[in-house]
Amino acid sequence: MDRRGFIKTCGTVAVASFIDPSLFSQVLAQQQDGMFQAYKKALLVKSDGTPLKEEDIKPQVNYIFFYPHNATPCYLINLGETVPPAEIKLKDGKSYRWMGGVGAKKSIVSYSAICAHQWSYPTPQYSFINYYPPDKPSETTKKAGIIQCCAHLALYDPKQGGSVIDGPADFPLASIVLQEEGGRFFATGVLGKDQFQQFFDNFRTELRQQYGSTAKARELVDKCIVMEVDKYVQAVVRC
Amino acid sequence: MSKQWLGVNRRELLSGVVAVGLSAPLLAYSAPQKRQKAQVVVVGGGYGGVTTAKYLKRENPNLDVVLIEERPFFMSCPMSNHFLAGLMELSSLCFSYNVLEVKHGVRMINDKVLGVELDKKVVRTSSGYIAYDYLVLSPGIDYDIEDKPFYRDSLIYNPPAFKPGSEHIYLKRLIEDFEGGDIVISVPTPPFRCPPAPYERAALIASMIKRNKLKAHMYFIDANERPIINSEGFLSAYYDLYRDVATYITSAQVRDIDVQKKVVRTSHGDFKYEIANIIPPMKASKLLEEAGLLKRGQKWVEVNPLTFETSVKNVFVIGDASQSYLPKSGYAAHSEGKLVAKIINARIKGKEVKEEYLQMICYAMVSDKEAIMAETAFRYDTVSKRFIPTYREDNQRKESTAKRYEEWARGLWRDLFS
Repeated sequence: MDRRGFIKTCGTVAVASFIDPSLFSQVLAQQQDGMFQAYKKALLVKSDGTPLKEEDIKPQVNYIFFYPHNATPCYLINLGETVPPAEIKLKDGKSYRWMGGVGAKKSIVSYSAICAHQWSYPTPQYSFINYYPPDKPSETTKKAGIIQCCAHLALYDPKQGGSVIDGPADFPLASIVLQEEGGRFFATGVLGKDQFQQFFDNFRTELRQQYGSTAKARELVDKCIVMEVDKYVQAVVRC
Repeated sequence: MSKQWLGVNRRELLSGVVAVGLSAPLLAYSAPQKRQKAQVVVVGGGYGGVTTAKYLKRENPNLDVVLIEERPFFMSCPMSNHFLAGLMELSSLCFSYNVLEVKHGVRMINDKVLGVELDKKVVRTSSGYIAYDYLVLSPGIDYDIEDKPFYRDSLIYNPPAFKPGSEHIYLKRLIEDFEGGDIVISVPTPPFRCPPAPYERAALIASMIKRNKLKAHMYFIDANERPIINSEGFLSAYYDLYRDVATYITSAQVRDIDVQKKVVRTSHGDFKYEIANIIPPMKASKLLEEAGLLKRGQKWVEVNPLTFETSVKNVFVIGDASQSYLPKSGYAAHSEGKLVAKIINARIKGKEVKEEYLQMICYAMVSDKEAIMAETAFRYDTVSKRFIPTYREDNQRKESTAKRYEEWARGLWRDLFS
């Protein structure tokens, strides 16, 4: 996407979502050259089932929810500062526009928690891929404010649409498109190169054990329970 | 009856019957030598070869790619110490090549490569010739034992278990049958396949002696002054955990092995053993020597460090057989395979690829529950024209690192075989 296209997309999406939020996904889909996939619109809720509000999302805490499928994990992070939109360039020459943070401060971002390198993901037992807040840098890479996978040290930048900072990943993390409507948050789709097919291919056995069947694991959701990662995962493996 | 029968058509079948009838004793020699053509031929179905073949097809599904591997299935050397120490089943390390053919369209040939004729651009197998435009050789290592014949006997009795397959299975049986006595493990000077592997193996065997309360002692004979990687982590594990069951002897050369009397003779004395795991020096596969890619006295094939191309255009050597800035490991071979696939696909399209420096990450168990790790990044110094490594080691043994180690391996396997 060239500079003109980039600015045009920003303007179009901003105007469209201002007039009617439901147009948001359609416009995004048209503008992103196949890099955006709309899914069921899903409300983010707390463990008690009530809608998640902005004040519930504490800065620098790593939250998890599952979207767009029952079994596909995503991270939600309030980065504590305004996160502007960015153009994400892929190694194959394609690019897409990441919309930046949402919420009053535009500080809330969300990404697929399936590592784009070799598909490590947070399970109830372990999470090798995690967010490292500014005050808790990685012992190995010494970097903070990043999402890092400890299996092969793939590093992603949550302030830059999940772009690869370092390590072996070929693609950024796919980002989850969030919309705020009347103080409530909805997930509406996935932007970027998602890893869902590889995820379902590779973890068939584990998903069958956890969800009863792969069909159940693949079911699309219309509501997502958001919780802190260490309440879902027994051992958060940091490195 | 179908015109096709086990891949042989009616005409071939009939001509074969005639040939058998006329000259049965000469059957092996008179069998028609098939000739095939592929755009890319990949030799060797280890980490490097599988990755190259898969990524070539993934980026360019129309490409005609042949992968030739003698073994019927893949067995991983990384994590094989887990198998030897009873921490992982052999089945976890083994994978079928089937997925490469069915899902990615790689033509798999389960055959032995007898030779490579670079001038004619053909690979010779036991069932015929395969011509190529691009050739990727990833045949791995051989044991370098020609000038030290005592290693030859030792190979039969004392499997080194540095080539995947039966060596591991036999060594595992020796370990399972072991009830007490002395164990000797020896390490040569580098380069050898997977630098932390002998040190990890020594730690796991010592750990097993302790865990099973065996009346046993391990002598770990290292030709090097200290562990060649994660020195601090290995030494502290040996000292803290295994002082009472193991002795680490450094800068010691193996001079002879008497397999009948079960004695290893070294520069630091003789050691009797119940089990010996003598790891011989290594060199690139003999296939590469016969192909003319190794000059006299060379043990590893010189390649362009940025492309892994040999002195012969469009012929690449990757993995443990090449002399590169990366250590010899499955992880490095995997990264090299991805890079070479990218280079070949770009060349076919008449494009260039950006320079890329690969990184290394590896782990090693130091007990049955804890591991240490090392990461190495490289930059190219244009003045000295050398690759400068930057090491980041985590020598604190941790259970969480052992979990990362397992995920590291499982991630690689997912990438290779999905």
